[in-house]
Formats: sequence, C-alpha cells, structure tokens
Amino acid sequence: MKGLASYVTRRLLWTLPTLILVSLMVFFLVRLVPGDPAQLILGDQATAQELAALRSRLGLDQSIPHQYLAWLGRVLSGDLGQSITNGQAVGALILSRFQVSAVIVLLAVGIATIIAVPMGLLAAWKQNRAGDLVIVTLATLMMSVPSFWLGLMLLLVFGLTLGWLPVVGFVPFSENVGQAMLYIVLPVATLTLIEVGVLTRMMRASAIEALRLEYVTHARAKGLSERRVLLRHVLPNAFAPTWTMLGLVLGGLLGGTAVLETVFTIPGLGRLLVDSIFQRDYPVIQGCLLFTAGIYVFVNLIVDLCYPLFDPRVTQK
Amino acid sequence: MKRRTLLASLPIFAFGAATLVLPGMATAQVAGMLRIRLNSDIRSTDPGINRDANTDYLMSHIVEGLVGFQDNADIAPMLAEKWDISEDGKTYTFTLRDGVTFHNGAPLTSAEVLFCWNRYMQADLGWRGLPEFNGENGLTVTIAAPDARTVIFTLSEPSSLFLVNLARIDCAQTGIYHPDSLGSDGKFVAPIGTGPFKMAKWERAQYIELEKFDAYAALSTPRSGLVGDKTPLVDRVRFMIVPEDSSAKTAVLAGDIDIIPDISTSDYTTLKSSAAVKIDVVESFSVAGFLFQTKDPLLGKPEMRQAIKLALDAPQIVDIISEGLSKANQSIVPPGSAFYSQVMAQPFERDLERARSLAKAAGYKGEVLPLLTTKHYPQLFDMAIMAQAMLAEAGILVDVQVLDWATLFDRYGSGNYQIATMTYSARLDPTLSYDMISGDKAEEPRKVWDNPEARKLLDQTKRETRHDERAKLFDQIETLFQKDQPMIPLYSGNRISARTPSIDGYASWPVGSPRAWGVTVKAGM
Repeated sequence: MKGLASYVTRRLLWTLPTLILVSLMVFFLVRLVPGDPAQLILGDQATAQELAALRSRLGLDQSIPHQYLAWLGRVLSGDLGQSITNGQAVGALILSRFQVSAVIVLLAVGIATIIAVPMGLLAAWKQNRAGDLVIVTLATLMMSVPSFWLGLMLLLVFGLTLGWLPVVGFVPFSENVGQAMLYIVLPVATLTLIEVGVLTRMMRASAIEALRLEYVTHARAKGLSERRVLLRHVLPNAFAPTWTMLGLVLGGLLGGTAVLETVFTIPGLGRLLVDSIFQRDYPVIQGCLLFTAGIYVFVNLIVDLCYPLFDPRVTQK
Repeated sequence: MKRRTLLASLPIFAFGAATLVLPGMATAQVAGMLRIRLNSDIRSTDPGINRDANTDYLMSHIVEGLVGFQDNADIAPMLAEKWDISEDGKTYTFTLRDGVTFHNGAPLTSAEVLFCWNRYMQADLGWRGLPEFNGENGLTVTIAAPDARTVIFTLSEPSSLFLVNLARIDCAQTGIYHPDSLGSDGKFVAPIGTGPFKMAKWERAQYIELEKFDAYAALSTPRSGLVGDKTPLVDRVRFMIVPEDSSAKTAVLAGDIDIIPDISTSDYTTLKSSAAVKIDVVESFSVAGFLFQTKDPLLGKPEMRQAIKLALDAPQIVDIISEGLSKANQSIVPPGSAFYSQVMAQPFERDLERARSLAKAAGYKGEVLPLLTTKHYPQLFDMAIMAQAMLAEAGILVDVQVLDWATLFDRYGSGNYQIATMTYSARLDPTLSYDMISGDKAEEPRKVWDNPEARKLLDQTKRETRHDERAKLFDQIETLFQKDQPMIPLYSGNRISARTPSIDGYASWPVGSPRAWGVTVKAGM
C-alpha cells in the first residue's frame, strides 16, 4: 500500500513538468499562428485607434513573455482567465463543456468496449474462419470511415428520412433525461461505431497471442470447456493491452470530439476549442489545451494504476 | 454468469430503448415557437459593445434606435416620431413617439435616450459607433433633452452620415434600453429594450430564446428593413446555434429548424428543388473582390492592376460563384444603392492582348504572384481558382495560397499581401463604401486605396447633405477609383434564406439579418 502511494505521488509529480511544458508550447505556438483577436472582434470596419484600444484592453500590447508570466501566475492560483470574445471565466466554461463531452465519450467508449471485447475474443477464437473474417472486415470498415461522414449519414437516415431523432440541438441531462438521451443517441452511436473498430482489433490481436500460450494448451489438455478457457484464462490476459488502448482512446476523446460536436451541434469541449481557435480566443485555447493535457495524463495514470488488476506481474515488478 | 452478462448489457439495452421508444418526439414543433439558425453564438447581450454580426442580429429584436434602415438602405423613424434639421445642418431635434414602453413597463422618455447616449460615449466601453461621434473621425456630437419627448443632437459640422451612423446595425442602431438593464454595480445585466421581443434565456453554445413583448408599440408603416410594423406574431423565438452548414441544411429539411437566414449559393442549388423548403433571394449590399497592395513595386503600377482586370472574365466568374443569381459589378457601390449611377454601372471588359501589353509595360517578367484566399468563404476560394486560370491565359502567373480566415484577415489588416480576395460586409451609404477602402496606408495599412484627391472628395461627401450634390461627388470618386484600380470589386452577392413551408411572413432583406417579427408558424405542419 505504501509502495502504491509513493508510486502515485511520483506519477503525479511527473505530471507537473509535463503540464508546464504543455503550457509553454500552447502559449507560444498559439501566438505564432497569424491572426489578431482584436481585428476579428472589431471586424472590417475597425479603425487603427479602435484596434489599439482593444489590444490594450485585452493585454495583447504587452510583450509575449510578460503575457505568459502573467497568465502562468493566474493559472497557478487556479484562474484560467476570461474569454476574450464573451468575457466568461475560462475555468467554468471548460468545466461546463467538459461535462457534455464526458457523458458522450464515456457512454460511447463504454458501449464500444462491451461490444468490442466479446467480438475481439470471438474473432480470435475463430481465427481465419468466416466469423473472424466478418468481424475483422467490419472492424476495419468502422476504423476507416471518417466520423463526420458517418455522423452526417446517421443524421440523414435517422433524422431526415425516418424522422426518429432530432437533427440539431442539445438538452442537458440535468434538464430532462429523456430528451437528453434523444439528442445524444446519434453522436454516441457514431462514436461507438468508430471506436468499436479500434478496440475489436486490439482485443483480437491480444487474444490470438494469449491463445497461443502454453497455459491455454494446458487448460485445454485438462479438459476445460472452450468457454471456460476463453473467459477464465484468455480474457483476463488479453484484456490488459486493450485496457491500455482504452486509456489512450479515452484520454484523446475526453479532450473533445470537435468534428462530431460540430456536426451534431453538441456544446462540448472540442467545439469550444475549435471555435476559440477560429476566433483566436487565446485564454480559452490555452485553457482547453492545458485541461486536455491534464485529462490525458490523469486518465492514463488511472489506467496504469488499474493495470495490476489485469496483469498482477506489474505489481510484482 | 448470466446475471453478469445481463448487467453488462444494460447500457446497450438502455441506449437501444432510447432509439426505439423516443422516435416521434424528434421533430415535434413547440407551439408558438419560431426556430432560427445562427451559425455561432452571440458574444454578449450588451448592445453594440462586445458584438459580432449574430449579436447585432439578435439585438435588433430586443432594442430599437431613434432611426433605422429600411429595405433600400434609406433612413426612417423608429423610436422617433420625427426629426427636424436646422438650416445650418448642425442641429437635429428628435421628437419621441408617444406610448412606447420598455419591456419592464416603463415609458420611453428622453431621459433613457440621454442615459444610453452618455453610456455609449464612454471611451472605455468600446461602442462601435464612438469614433463617429466623439471627434475621432472629425465629427463631435453633443446631446440635450429639454423635455420628456425631445432630444437634441448638436453636431460640430453638417454631416450626411449622422443619421446613417445612428442607424448602423453594427452599432446596435444606437439602441435605447432602460437604465435597469444595468445592475447596481453599473455592470450590464440584460437588455430591457422596446423591441418586439424580450430576452428570455441564453444557453451558451446552444440557443438564445426570446419572448414576445405583448405591449409592443408597433408602427403603422409597412415592415421594411429594421423599421415599420414589427408586431411579434409568435410567442417565442429560439435562435439555435448550428455551426455546421450541412447539419443546418439537414435540420431545415427535417423540420427541426424553421428558418436559415443566410444559406450559401451551393446550398441554394441543392435546396431550391426541394418541396420541404421555400427559398427567398434578395440582392445584398456586401462586396467581394480582389485587393491589390499598391505599395508593392509591381502592383503599385496602375498598368499591372489594369492588366489583371482586363485578363479576368468577371461576368463568367460571378455567374459561376453566384449560381447565376448575381451580376458582375466593378464598383465598390452596390447596385441596390440609391446613388448607383451610370458611371458605376460600366460593364467589365476582357482583352487579353491589352492585358499582356499593359503587364509588359508595367515591367512584369513572368514572376509568380501570390494570391491569398480562404475556404472560409467558398466564393472567395472559387474566385481565386478561376482568376488563376484566366490570368494564365494572359501570361500572368498566380500562386493561390489558401489561408484560414483569421490569418487572411490579419494579412489584410497589416497590408501584408500582393493580391488577396476579400469580402466586405454591407455598407449602406456610398460614403461608407468608399471609406472602407480609402485612407492613408501609413496610418491604416488595411486601407487599399491611398489617393489624397479621392480622400478630399470623400470628406466633402460627409459634409454634403444634398442628395444630388452627393451623387455628383460619388461619380467623381468612382472615376478616380476606376483609373487607379486599387482593387477589383467583382459583385455584391445575394442574401438567400431557406424556410420550412410552415412559416408565413418571413422575407430576406439586403443586410441578411433574420427578422422574426411579422412571422407566423402554421400549426400541424
């Protein structure tokens, strides 16, 4: 237990340099991109004086190192600043949008895992036979289809042609659970289909490897049923790499699924980031990227901590 | 084991149930609600302060100014019953309409006009119209309210643009709101205006909902632009934020949105044949074209700019990018303007031989000229691609460089380009049209045209209030513009709206902003 606590502490401390490095990269890279927030806010009728006044008000007339240190100081005290475009507190803005993205991503990845793990196991068990071929073909197809295309096709079929589901809009779960479900069915379905492909292939590859190991042969020689062999001996061992992949997938997706959120008009974190990039809303871009990096690190830390559950050898090491 | 499998499958069952049980609720129209698409969220609810086009559009439903624009860009009274101009053109006396109330029930008086004006004139607030009235652009305006129904503006000099600037949409029409719109700390809370709708709910990044203002005091004149009869006929209006064009198009076809105020010409092509939507097209006051950097050694020569113009088949470009809806216009003044004259209506000419000889005379030696464009506005990209091919026919080589909108706008602002495609938002007076491109490049690098003679004439148009005299001045400026050719205006485009058949009374207008007043939603469609 003490070892685990020290491991967690070490891992958490290691995230600090990562986040500082991310903050540096985010801050300076964003400013390397051409585009003036003041010009975008004031539009094509802005005079030189108006532009100068707005830049001064937004603090954009200060030197970049000065701006960075001021921002970092605020971040360390827990203040991510305010949006240039609408004056909202960036921290609150990110949290409200993250909640939306998180529900969709967790649901989609959860469902995708529930589908992908048995599918991958089945494909591995039926390796090079018809069942395997069908599953691998479907998984590859799902992985290859662009998410915006799949999303638009689902919108056309279920929204426009069948009229079963709304095409645009969003209702938070806190407002009306039934309506909320209705609005997230299509984005969750799209994301699930995309992620099922990745996870199925990973599960299949790990399971094939596990099926070739001696303890599986031994279990079969003992006369255990195939079902028992698969569920008791192959699944736990084959799931560890899939679990790692899940961490990577979750970490990436929790940062927002900008394309899907735009297609389905979901007010999530990804759309916030994309909108703020187009508007050169520096505080929001910086906040989103820092938060996303933090989430990525955090999710992968959780995944690492859970790893011994599937592969006890990790703890022994 | 069976129980575990069942538990594991619960989320799938729940989700599947949602897809099966909930159908039918999808396209349910909420009674009395009009749903209009916005392509991005508004910036604030403080009129004319932290704003963009969508913010202005929304504000036009909540607050009203003393005057406003009609469909043809003429100025008409809104909260003012009338105005009188002194003989020297320096004093404007407005009489306020009787019986107008704010959303909180308080009557409109000159005190609120005075309150709002004084707030607008605060330098640190950043109101868009400030430079036009505080002397920064030459004109200084002071205000007085001698009685409850009279407001007097005194100008430092006669100005043909005073009323135009008061009515400017990007200045929120100098909208009048009740002082209670601000909290006790002086910070703006929510607009309490006199408009046909009042603010109900703003779910950021999702929608903004307005409620009908039952006590709205409508004018008896016909609806036109942002003035006239603006009676609200629906109980609620929901401005739905749908950033993606394809999703918005699908939504209007599915009946999930009632109106898309401004669709692209490519969407016009696909939607016009659908029975599920009605399309409305009007000519706009915006301008798109090619800008030249006249400080560039090569493009600084008028011969080179003329050569490029002669190499373009402008009518063909416009025909293609506008799906045949627009005509080429080589003036910066849109054809819909009351000042559009024969001088401005000269047709484009294509002459490849002359283009070659002019390019040679300018010292062009076959170098590749960068042409900046963006896909943010597809018509700008298409213009650039077609121009590239047409210019090649005249031996002028162009490299099309595609940038994101913010970058292109930044390059425009700093004057860092040789040739660039650009689109300008609507200017509803020719003085404003010329003013957006004319100026001293040393002070404002974004200005395209740096001709002191033209600037002098332009200043005269600002002081001249007689229509005919202004028209003569505009013709003189246009002649100079065509000679200098600092840019090639190509066309003014259209405003195209799409709506479901259940909507009655909706019409586009040249500015393209949505107008929810006078619109009804038929039940059961």
